[in-house]
Amino acid sequence: MSTIETLRSRVGAATRSDNPLLTLLRPPYVLLLPLSILLLVMFVGPLLAIVVFSVQPDNSISLNPAVWTFEHYAEIVGGMVSGEGVYGDVLVNTAAVSAVTTGVTLVFSYPAAYALARKIERYKTVFLLVLIIPLFTSVNIRVFGWALFLVSNGVLDSIVSLFGVSSYPTMMYQRWTIILGTTYVYMPFMLFPIYLSLLSIDDETIAAARDLGAGRLTLFRRIVLPLSKPGVIIGSLFVFILSLGADVEAQILGGGSIFTMASNINYSFGYSQNWPLGSAQAVGLLIITLIAGVIILRTIDLREIASRGDA
Amino acid sequence: MSVESRSLTDRLGAGVWYGYVALVALFFLTPLFSLVIASFYDGRFFSIVDYEFSVEWYRAALQSGSIRSAFMNTVRISVPVTILSTIIGTGGAIAYTRYEFPYQERFKLLALLPIFFPLILLGLGMSMWTSVIGLGYGIVPSIIGELVWISPIVMFVVSITALGVDPNVEEAARDLGADTLTMYRKVTLPLIWDGVVSGAIFAFVLSWNNYYIVSYLSGAQSTITTWIHGRMTQGFTPVVPAVASLIFYVSILLVVVAFVIEFREESSG
Repeated sequence: MSTIETLRSRVGAATRSDNPLLTLLRPPYVLLLPLSILLLVMFVGPLLAIVVFSVQPDNSISLNPAVWTFEHYAEIVGGMVSGEGVYGDVLVNTAAVSAVTTGVTLVFSYPAAYALARKIERYKTVFLLVLIIPLFTSVNIRVFGWALFLVSNGVLDSIVSLFGVSSYPTMMYQRWTIILGTTYVYMPFMLFPIYLSLLSIDDETIAAARDLGAGRLTLFRRIVLPLSKPGVIIGSLFVFILSLGADVEAQILGGGSIFTMASNINYSFGYSQNWPLGSAQAVGLLIITLIAGVIILRTIDLREIASRGDA
Repeated sequence: MSVESRSLTDRLGAGVWYGYVALVALFFLTPLFSLVIASFYDGRFFSIVDYEFSVEWYRAALQSGSIRSAFMNTVRISVPVTILSTIIGTGGAIAYTRYEFPYQERFKLLALLPIFFPLILLGLGMSMWTSVIGLGYGIVPSIIGELVWISPIVMFVVSITALGVDPNVEEAARDLGADTLTMYRKVTLPLIWDGVVSGAIFAFVLSWNNYYIVSYLSGAQSTITTWIHGRMTQGFTPVVPAVASLIFYVSILLVVVAFVIEFREESSG
């Protein structure tokens, strides 16, 4: 912008209101202000704290910008590359849990979302409600419920013993038990985006394709699947980043014997009280989350969701 | 193929879809059923064969002092969070959906980004940050911390309702001489009221059930969810399912109410 334009716009702003503070007190700015201040102070600040702490020396609990080190990154990346120490396991566990969770939730959610969007009319509200209620129940309560179900002498034990089965391999403290937990907790985040994208397909589009002679398979492959792609992408990103942060699932269902990235970060904070080391591990998670979050938000159009609500 | 057998295959097909969704619903309810079954069992371990119904653990839960104080702390956090996040989130939603301003899409990006963050990242970032800026730990930091995650969710819910409102109605109110405050009081707020109420209910339930953020920010004060977590990791105690069930009953009741409000609005609008 040229100097003269800058000056002009400043003059324009000055004549529009004499006091910039008064402008802030008018809508929409007065409505934006509380949320903006809250997020700048308590969202952006904490994210910066994670980044800055990650380059501080061991066991510092106050920030000193003059002293910084990359030793934690070296330790973590070195451990992951060589597979030595806890970091090799953490990398494998975390990648396995997140990737498998994303795949499994996709495979099981898609037919359910399809049925809810296009096949089911009666009791639809009841089904939607059942799928929504877990989202509003504390993660640790739901995971605890699974532990009660799976643990020896638990609910599952009681049910199978009715059929005379008394011995089977233990269900708890396995990697797949953690995956069961994450699949359970994050499945709604896959199901609802796909459901919304399937809901937006016009009945006319399907009818037209049928009239033009498309069989069931062609209809699915050429019409339904491409049109539901945004939902699949958003859902997968959602489930992947959220299951990277799975901590309670690993603690309770993994019994503290299988570490994921999130539970290891938590350990560095809680037990070893080493904030810089925990932060350095969190930075990787932070970067992935930021990228995926921005992609999700760019794809989500609130207007579109609002119009689909009427469907 | 006769008409009758065609309708039979159609019905079978529909039955398969219903059956599949019912299985998914069963999967979603399994841990919650387990919790409720365990909370009524009279004994340390339970089995369906000699299951004996008992409300003993509920009585124990309601009489315990530590549970009562955790419950009071949860209320002390979730009531202010509900009120403040409803005001902040509704403000953001009205600004974003009813006005045009510079950097509008960037504002949406910043405002909704916290929803997509794993709560463990938010929690630990906040715990370091409150220590650096001297806010410390306890009830007040927990309230501020939960607001960061819950206000954007309220904004999301209210925005969806607000986008369904015709902007010409507000224009008309202005033409008829309404000043800004009158317009909000008489026109905008009544039109988005259902969204605000369900946003507020969701805010309460999410705050009521929050674990990650309070576990990092509440310090020495325990809430119901951190109390449950502490007991859970120390091994099975029969009173834990009862406490967990109690907070689940409150959630389920409120979510049903919020859902009915949303659904009523959709079917009438």
